[in-house]
Amino acid sequence: MAVTFYLMAVLLLLSAVAVITFKNPIYSALALVFNLFVVAGLFATLDAHFIAAVQVVVYAGAIMVLVMFVLMLLSAKLEKASPFSPLYFGAALICGLAFAVTLGLEFDSGFNSAPPASDLQGTVAAVGKVLYSRYVFPFEAASLLLMAAIAGAVVLARRRYRTKEL
Amino acid sequence: MELMILVAKVIVALFLVALHLAAFCTWVERKGSALIQDRIGANRSAAYVQTDNLLLKPVAFFLRIMGGLGVINTLVNDAVKAILKEDFVPAGVPKFVHALAPFLAVFPIFLAYAVVPMAPDFEAFGQVIRLQVASLDAGVLFLFAMGSVSVYGVAMAGWSGNNKFSLLGALRASAQMISYELAMGISLVTVILVYGTLDLYEMVNAQGKLWGICYQPLTFLILFTVGMAETKRGPFDLPESESELVAGYFTEYSGMKFLVFWLGEFAEIGLFALLLTILFFGGWNIPFFTYPSNHWIWAIVGFHVLLLKVVFFCVLQIVIRWTLPRFRYDQLMDLGWKILLPLSMLNLVFYAALKLSGGIG
Amino acid sequence: MVPITHYLILALLMFSIGVVGVIVRRNAIVVFMCIELMLNSVNLTFVAFSKQWGNLDGQIAVFFVMVVAAAEAAIGLAIILSVFRAGQSIETSDAAELKF
Repeated sequence: MAVTFYLMAVLLLLSAVAVITFKNPIYSALALVFNLFVVAGLFATLDAHFIAAVQVVVYAGAIMVLVMFVLMLLSAKLEKASPFSPLYFGAALICGLAFAVTLGLEFDSGFNSAPPASDLQGTVAAVGKVLYSRYVFPFEAASLLLMAAIAGAVVLARRRYRTKEL
Repeated sequence: MELMILVAKVIVALFLVALHLAAFCTWVERKGSALIQDRIGANRSAAYVQTDNLLLKPVAFFLRIMGGLGVINTLVNDAVKAILKEDFVPAGVPKFVHALAPFLAVFPIFLAYAVVPMAPDFEAFGQVIRLQVASLDAGVLFLFAMGSVSVYGVAMAGWSGNNKFSLLGALRASAQMISYELAMGISLVTVILVYGTLDLYEMVNAQGKLWGICYQPLTFLILFTVGMAETKRGPFDLPESESELVAGYFTEYSGMKFLVFWLGEFAEIGLFALLLTILFFGGWNIPFFTYPSNHWIWAIVGFHVLLLKVVFFCVLQIVIRWTLPRFRYDQLMDLGWKILLPLSMLNLVFYAALKLSGGIG
Repeated sequence: MVPITHYLILALLMFSIGVVGVIVRRNAIVVFMCIELMLNSVNLTFVAFSKQWGNLDGQIAVFFVMVVAAAEAAIGLAIILSVFRAGQSIETSDAAELKF
């Protein structure tokens, strides 16, 4: 069990680094897809089966496909590679490290005081029960948000009509 | 023991079902299309096999018959040809992605076979065995996830071809698959709602008395159409339409890699046929008949009943593919977004109301 | 069983990588992907804590994060596309003007 976790951890970090270092955005997207799969695997090790499946369906199956679609749509016209400046990169690295240290300082030894609950299973039925009882209103709000997002995306994408008005 | 049973299950799911279905579909595609187009089709392999040895005569006769039916051509000649062909990689292609794409296109489909139950439970080696590699709590969800992931292989294949035609094919394919996934997801939710479970085995059990098609015909029609679109065949083969895009997203593939795409396409046909059979046509259930015990002999009977239905749907999909003309692109999008999606939503609302009023389940 | 702190440290490192990516990269879509990276690391902590305290609320939170991410993807990519149409570039540094 522990071995799979550490293997996944290494893969996760490697693919995360790959996302930010690949010059070609399509490679970055592929690395991110791999990363998302590993995260789904980590969810599965935490017995969150439903969330793991949703992770694959929503993130890997929908969001990243959309990103890939846009990248391929534009890829022929994206000749210019981002200029790499060591100064910039060093500053960013320091920022990231400072961030990591700040967050790390917030670690509480109380996190580990109790052993993890062994009987908790994030099955579809269990998650669904909580989602549709205690979280009904946030759920409805989420659907409203998605509705607004669809409308917004359509408005933004309908370029021809917008320029006519201008 | 546990491990051996698991290995046996994998062998059944992968080799006995997935690969055989793929091979069978290839054969039907060759000879069936010939039948539909009033051609003869592949019939020359082993046509001249002759022997003077009396004992070998029946074998030679059998080979000639198989060759005449085109079976040898499908199983042997095509494979040998593909393996021996040059694996041509065009210049300026990202080699790694180019090589990875066919496997990414096929892998999720074969993985999806893992959650499909293939036979009723039976007792052997002192324990009850379920012919399903992974009995997941969220079987349908897993299938859906694998379906949505299989876009990547196609998208990468088209993009890595370094070719306008393949890129266009990949764009078309991913747009088509995303669009039809919505209707598919909502229809699957309807099915889950009606049966009240995500476990495919439980769904089959729920159809012991009455097959699902009897009380959810519209859901079946929507899922069948979506299935045809998701396999990118039939009237929905715009991503690889040969008159516009050469061969679409796999234009730049040859040899074994092309064969892998081919295999994946037919395995996907088999998978959808399997899914439709399990969701709507009672799986291994036979009308007016209940399996008397969980003896292994009934498992074998059930397995073959299931396969018979699956084969029917495979043939149906191939016949539709060779019968209907291709859609125009706007017709394809209209069908997905303006017809199937609202229809599946109304369908869901209808069954939800029915469920609330106690009409079903 | 792996202690929860290991999951947290992993998420922390991934979040920091995402932060570095957002700062370093200029391609708007890659910046977007780095934000997804950060969202995912937060999801990981949510699920890890959910397991630790035996409480499904964390997984519900992940569900909502995914909903927000989906909405963000739709809107974000539409914005990136319209920026590209206006300026023929999706470099964040090229989109510095407020008016095209």
